[in-house]
Amino acid sequence: MSPGDTPLLEARNVTKVYGNVNALAGVNFTLSGGEIVGLVGDNGAGKSTLVKTLCGAHSPSSGQILIDGAEVVFTSPKESREQGIEVVYQDLALANELSVTENIFLGREIRRGGFLGRLMTMDRKAMHDSARETLESLAIEIKDVETRCGMMSGGQRQAVAVARAIMWGSRILLLDEPTAALAVAESDKIAGLVSGVKEKGVGVILVSHNLPQVYELCDRVVVLLRGRVVTELHRGQYSIEDLVSWITGAAMHKTS
Amino acid sequence: MTDLNETGGVSGDSVSSVNAMSDETFESEQAKRSLEVERRIAQRRRFLQRAQQQGLALVLVAVFVIMWLSSPYFMNKDNLLTAASVVSILGIMAVTETLLVIAAEIDISIGGVMALVSVLVGLLVGDGLNVWLASGIAMLAAATVGLLNGVITVHFKINSLVTTLGTFSITTGLAYVFSGTTTVQIQGAGFGFLGNGSILGAPATVYFFVALWLLGAFVARQTTIGRHIYATGDNFEAADRSGIRPKRIRMWLFIVNSVVAGFAGLVVTSELASSAPQIGDPYLLAVITAVILGGASLTGGRGRLSGTLLAVAILGVVQNGFALLEYSSYLQNLVTGCLLILAVLVDQFVRRAER
Repeated sequence: MSPGDTPLLEARNVTKVYGNVNALAGVNFTLSGGEIVGLVGDNGAGKSTLVKTLCGAHSPSSGQILIDGAEVVFTSPKESREQGIEVVYQDLALANELSVTENIFLGREIRRGGFLGRLMTMDRKAMHDSARETLESLAIEIKDVETRCGMMSGGQRQAVAVARAIMWGSRILLLDEPTAALAVAESDKIAGLVSGVKEKGVGVILVSHNLPQVYELCDRVVVLLRGRVVTELHRGQYSIEDLVSWITGAAMHKTS
Repeated sequence: MTDLNETGGVSGDSVSSVNAMSDETFESEQAKRSLEVERRIAQRRRFLQRAQQQGLALVLVAVFVIMWLSSPYFMNKDNLLTAASVVSILGIMAVTETLLVIAAEIDISIGGVMALVSVLVGLLVGDGLNVWLASGIAMLAAATVGLLNGVITVHFKINSLVTTLGTFSITTGLAYVFSGTTTVQIQGAGFGFLGNGSILGAPATVYFFVALWLLGAFVARQTTIGRHIYATGDNFEAADRSGIRPKRIRMWLFIVNSVVAGFAGLVVTSELASSAPQIGDPYLLAVITAVILGGASLTGGRGRLSGTLLAVAILGVVQNGFALLEYSSYLQNLVTGCLLILAVLVDQFVRRAER
């Protein structure tokens, strides 16, 4: 990111204290549109706490969160969604008994015009076509958008959840371990999807333990250790071994 | 049969497309194997879902033929209309109960609400009130019970089986206390039409049932509210995150269900031309049986009003046939119970097929 640009999302000196544990001890973090930033760290390093703080599930103990340079205060995930931040969880996202179209449009159904529309009647054809279009624009391969989500693979469901977020104008996508439960081939497809999302100008935060994938996908990697950002690594300027030694804390002993 | 299927919830036909994913898209052997497993699961599920729906139609045909052969009075226009009239009262309540079960809640207080409404009407008419005004007040009481069910279940997060068992006990208790267990005669002002009237040769109750069923099927299948009801029962968390307010949906379903039960109470009161605290007794088990037999899953998210319609018809034929053959009503309870357990087992098989 060039200096002077206002980042899409910024966390300034964010802390989170649970009792006498500093889960986040003053974290600074930025994300620009069209950027994929990896968030890595060992268990307990503060990744989940940071994600929850950014999406409004937790409020920070101190510090600021800014979107487009303006401070925002979220008291619930719903409020962060209204600002265009979408967290995609693997299992919580979809209603399995509903079709792909119905899931994508859940809560935002297209109604028919005129009298029938006032009776809350849905325009299934318009919804069908629109869902098709969105999935195609993201190169998500689902043969029939009227398929029930419960009948699809984990990767396809994840893809539908991402498509849903993109379709409704999310500008910031938080992917929390998106490929942890997926087969290798499916995991590769999600990686492709994330790259496609980036091209649409969406900022993506990828929380993952899959370091080769983080290495390949992310423009920048932020490493957390004991609630602090210990380093930021830029694409092409580090190796996976470097990443591992930063995550474990070994790199800090080397340099100091 | 086909047109009935379309009126319900999620279309079974869409399932077939899962198999259509092209094999080249998956490079690894592992992915291919899991695709193969999924295809087999999909096939099995499709089969079981069809078996559930068509099995219901088959049972209906079977009981119909058995009764036709067993009793010379069964296949008679007047008898069939009587049977339809009797079962319509149950059917009215089964429509809204189905929607409630799809939203992953249940209301077993309906029998108590019927009794309370009946007794209140008797009491108020006894005090000299107009019967329709009395009915209106009694319906308000029914709505209040629904509101109570909703608030306790939705806001205090109490299992609805427990909540409505409580309100069932309360409403039944109130009905007996208010009435002093006596029956009050109610007549005049055209009140008898609800239970005994007929339009173009068919009982009014059948029209009530058909109208409510059509409305319910329309809402479930065609409207956004219907989708939200399914989503609420299927994945509450996802429903909440998508901003559709699943709590409010459940709340309204409880209220509507109670109001409909109250209306059924009015119909029965009108039919008997008297109010009595016992009138709800035969309906509770029958309504729940119709809903479950019709394929609505107690875990929520799944169910069709077409299934409920078939199940109501089956119960109607069985009830009528048993009466014609002069079998004991206890035997009828036994058969209803067996059907209920069978239906729950089939539902369990269908769901296990997905795992």
